[in-house]
Amino acid sequence: MRFGVRALYQNKWAILAFAAMLALLIVVPLSPVLDKYTMLLTFIAINAMVTLGLCLLMGYTGQVSLGQTAFYGIGAYISAILSKTYGVNPWLAMLIAAAAAGLFAYLIGFPIFRLRGNYLAMATLGLVLVVYTLFRELGSLTGGPDGMSGIPHLSIGGLHFNTPATRYFLVWSFCLAALVLSQNIIRSRTGRALRAIHGSEAAAQSVGIDLSRYKVKIFVLSAVYASIAGSLFVHTLRFVNPQPFGFLASVMIVTMAVVGGLASIWGALFGTAVVRILSNEVLLRFGSLDIIVYGLILMVVMIFVPQGLFVGLRDTFQRWRLKRARQEAPT
Amino acid sequence: MSSPILETKGLTRTFGGLTAVDGVDLSVESGRITAVIGPNGAGKTTLFNLIAGVYMPTSGDILFEGKTLGKSPPHRRAALGIARTFQNVLLFDNMTVLENVMSGQHPRSRYGFLEAALRLPKAHREEERIVLASRRFLNLVGLGMYADRNPASLPLGQQKLLTIARALATEPRLLLLDEPGAGLNALEKQGLSELIRRIQEMGITVILVEHDMDLVMGIAEWVVVLDSGQKIAEGTASQIQKDKKVIAAYLGDEEGAG
Repeated sequence: MRFGVRALYQNKWAILAFAAMLALLIVVPLSPVLDKYTMLLTFIAINAMVTLGLCLLMGYTGQVSLGQTAFYGIGAYISAILSKTYGVNPWLAMLIAAAAAGLFAYLIGFPIFRLRGNYLAMATLGLVLVVYTLFRELGSLTGGPDGMSGIPHLSIGGLHFNTPATRYFLVWSFCLAALVLSQNIIRSRTGRALRAIHGSEAAAQSVGIDLSRYKVKIFVLSAVYASIAGSLFVHTLRFVNPQPFGFLASVMIVTMAVVGGLASIWGALFGTAVVRILSNEVLLRFGSLDIIVYGLILMVVMIFVPQGLFVGLRDTFQRWRLKRARQEAPT
Repeated sequence: MSSPILETKGLTRTFGGLTAVDGVDLSVESGRITAVIGPNGAGKTTLFNLIAGVYMPTSGDILFEGKTLGKSPPHRRAALGIARTFQNVLLFDNMTVLENVMSGQHPRSRYGFLEAALRLPKAHREEERIVLASRRFLNLVGLGMYADRNPASLPLGQQKLLTIARALATEPRLLLLDEPGAGLNALEKQGLSELIRRIQEMGITVILVEHDMDLVMGIAEWVVVLDSGQKIAEGTASQIQKDKKVIAAYLGDEEGAG
């Protein structure tokens, strides 16, 4: 009975929260008061796709990766180079970039997932350093440290995504689609296999789960999410340089995932939003000391709310609802 | 009841200089409850790990239903019909009790990332079937009312039953139970014996490694005794209890020989 009540509240309030979020998202770029946040929210949606991939990999499957910005950068640069230098259709460029990032993740996935824990973290960190250095040093292709500008925008037929509002709706469509697809995966046979690997690799194998196959598959999916986010990023900003794809950016992605809740799909969005809003609205005042503040946030959340703010808040809210429901119920 | 479901031939596994399993020939009759006993360090769990594919034999061969298992990895053996539980439980604490059992249905369902992500009808149908089957296995071990709980919140006895339900959910023909009675009280052991008999009635061959002699003598129809990696005796429970070599292995050589 108790579980029935809990499930009911969870559902009703989850639907309400989702509807409220959608309504807010639609209102922001159209309202004269809130439209100054359009750009910030656009970048939150792009970042959230990268964070989401990390949550699937780290939070659900238990495989640490500090390398997600490598795939983010691969998507960004392949899209930029193909569409600007070679005049390829931006959508096709995005598709090629995603396929390349996925293939790259697949190829390095089998050797890299022979490693566990700290060793896996170090190897994925190495990946970021290698890719970042390539972006900076292959000047004739990537524009070096100065980057490339004048990257074309995306369009469908006569609809051009060249204003803040149109880009905002485009990017959020991708982000919400990725969130919903991921939610469906987690609630399926595949999702159970991923969570089983996190729970106990030996037990997962004993129920017929092929460890390396599932680890590599979710790694590929996270790479494809990151790559698409990278493509959207360059077609939105119409400019690219190596800076957003380095080591610090990778640490930021981990911070966003941890703050939201590693094992939580919607926590990925929530954590990204919290960290980005903080960095845009508050942390600017700290100048270059902001990285210290990120470190502090990471530590405080890990110590006091290890399941992440999103999960922490949701559970607190549910307990409060249950308590009220019990008090109101005639005994 | 006559053909062996599992055979090992000269099965040997060494770790560095230590021979954990040493030339073991086994023939496990289909449908018969078989117990593997022996003092600590006799190689019982290593034998299980060899059958389950966690370790590969140094030499020798394992045949399941007449076919060699070769170097096939654990997950493929689960799909072939070999299930197991672990001495140290190893439940998935990041899932509910029911989801733990549902994960056992993994090798008996076939839908992947794409069907799941897009919620195609096939995924829906499969999920409904998996939930129904898993509830049946959960009820079989008597944990139906704890479906939505976290497994870590259950007492050890129920956690062990849950690992059996998870193993049964893989729909095996051979079930390996690694010390299922350890840490259970007398009443729970009684229930465990009944459960193992019911599993036998389902047509599943059970092999158990167990230290509890009352449990073993009560349910095992065939007992294999290992000592220092070698098979020193096998037979019915009453034959084993009278075997001189077995008594020697358990009580120490001097007393046994005298």
